[in-house]
Amino acid sequence: MALGSALRRLTLFDRYLVVIFALLVVVSFLFPFSKQPGARVVVDADHRTVYTAPLNENRTFEVSGPLGDTRLTIENGAVRVLSSPCPQKICIGMGEAHQAGDLLACVPNRIVIRVEGQAEGESYDLLSR
Amino acid sequence: MFSRPWALILLVLLVALVFWQRFSTEKSQLSRTALLMGTLVEIQANGDDRELLETAVTDAIAEMSRLEQLFSTHIPQSEINRLSDAGTLQVSIETAELLTLGQQIARSSQGAFDMCLGNLKRLWDIESQAPKTPSEKELREALRGIGPESLQIEGRQVTKQTESLRIDLGGIAKGYAVDRAVEILRAAGVLSAAVNAGGDIRLLGYRQGQPWRIGIQHPRQNGEVIATLMLQDRAVVTSGDYERYFEVEGTRYHHLFDPQTGRPARGCQSVTVVAADAASADALATAAFVLGPQKGLALLEQMPEVEGFLIAADGSRLTTSGLEDFLEWH
Amino acid sequence: MTSSAVDPVQLEQVRQRVFLALFIALAVALHAVEYLLPSPLPWFRFGLSNILTLTALFLYGPRAAWTVTLSRILIGSLLLGTLFSPGFLLSLSGGVLATLLMTSAFSLFRPHIGPVGVSVLGALGHVSGQLLIAWLLIVRHPSIWLMLPFFLLFSLISGIINGVAADMLLEFLLKHPAFARLKKIGREQTQKIDH
Repeated sequence: MALGSALRRLTLFDRYLVVIFALLVVVSFLFPFSKQPGARVVVDADHRTVYTAPLNENRTFEVSGPLGDTRLTIENGAVRVLSSPCPQKICIGMGEAHQAGDLLACVPNRIVIRVEGQAEGESYDLLSR
Repeated sequence: MFSRPWALILLVLLVALVFWQRFSTEKSQLSRTALLMGTLVEIQANGDDRELLETAVTDAIAEMSRLEQLFSTHIPQSEINRLSDAGTLQVSIETAELLTLGQQIARSSQGAFDMCLGNLKRLWDIESQAPKTPSEKELREALRGIGPESLQIEGRQVTKQTESLRIDLGGIAKGYAVDRAVEILRAAGVLSAAVNAGGDIRLLGYRQGQPWRIGIQHPRQNGEVIATLMLQDRAVVTSGDYERYFEVEGTRYHHLFDPQTGRPARGCQSVTVVAADAASADALATAAFVLGPQKGLALLEQMPEVEGFLIAADGSRLTTSGLEDFLEWH
Repeated sequence: MTSSAVDPVQLEQVRQRVFLALFIALAVALHAVEYLLPSPLPWFRFGLSNILTLTALFLYGPRAAWTVTLSRILIGSLLLGTLFSPGFLLSLSGGVLATLLMTSAFSLFRPHIGPVGVSVLGALGHVSGQLLIAWLLIVRHPSIWLMLPFFLLFSLISGIINGVAADMLLEFLLKHPAFARLKKIGREQTQKIDH
């Protein structure tokens, strides 16, 4: 079969490359920064933070971008996109984000949604004291 | 063309980047600070027209400075000091407006907020090098004649009902100045701004389409935020026992005095009030603090369009019913 | 009797151009089909069009590979309406880095390296290029690198698949008389004809 002969034609170098790459994959899985439970949702529109909300309270809200409003919901400790004016709705297909470091994005509408852990980021614009 | 792939790649990348730039609009964000009214005042304004923002913010700061000349007790010839000296005076419109508002809140709070604590504050002198705790007799003397009816206001003519009274607008003047600054920004066409006078805050519009996030200082943990409020077009003021105080033998003496006793009010650690204007928020925060957790909460619930929360002396939290949607505890 | 006295070199050049055009068309078709299919990871694809890039590389050399890749990206984006969109920049950066790695590996390591090895390197370049641009222009937050392991795994698999497919395609093509003057470059010494 053609596949069989193709596999036999793999050179030594080819095999080495595949093995090294596979090792790289394994190593990269072992490395990641600690996956903390998420505490807060941070939404950036056009690289500027426009909205933050805690993950532990259910809410639905909208963020606007050049194409229109993207609707997001926080439910049961996870955030996902409900609706968005982009053509392919990839952002909706990305599903839920709930751990620190998780990302969702609607690239055409320039919206990036991050989940942050406890210690990160400035959580307010002004301080009242 | 295909024989020089590099040139082609660079060309395509260049065009793509140009397109990318065209579709990202940069908005201007302007921030100015000034030392006024004994605190750091910061004005943030957002918009497309930088020149417009600059002019508006400069005018707003100038106005706040002008008001300081009217209201400050530290400036010998301020209008307020001249009123205290003279007994009766025809004051400027702003002063009359402020005194009228203050009197309304003094009445609503049954005297918990009082504008005539000038003598009392001088007596305690919290900010001086050698503050001391006054005697009972001294306190009685300093409190003579105070109360919601201690001033008679007829149009722009203001008369003290007791000769020795001295007016001190510490609990409301900053808020009023913040309000005037916001009015100037609004009149100049600014749609998104925040004025923050040492923690007395008023917001104009939204911040890039979303509510402003206001962190509330934790009364006992410095550098920590106890709650965050999501607000737009509102004022928020916090009164706390941690700002100006001195300690003697383990007892903290702070600047929020109970007009009934002449001593610092002990019921709360801090009070945060959200209202339509900063002057009201300022005065109400002071009043609620003095009244203590239960009565203070009742006062805030009773006032229309006013919300807030109190941190009682034991650390427990009381919140008005309408605040939940905007409030996030930490 | 006249025999068609066509200059064999010119004939080969014409053939090459025709076949490259064919490869480009096929690559664009694959690109379009991939784009329309749903994908678990957003913006990132198998890169099936790489099969054609690999074939062009092994038949005609690095310049041909560049031709196929760049044309495929440009024409594909025009066709799909994604020209100059963020997805386009990702495609471009992935494609450029992949082709760079592939042509370099090809030039440096042949005959020791075969289509699968080159393809695997290409997949690595593809994914790295895309992540890099996504990080620089879209997300700008280091947490995007958390996705690296998944992307690497994905690209390893697609790299192997593409490589094997290209290898099979090459074997098949070389049996056809149209390619009789060329042998697969890599295993044997052949004439390489520039266009």
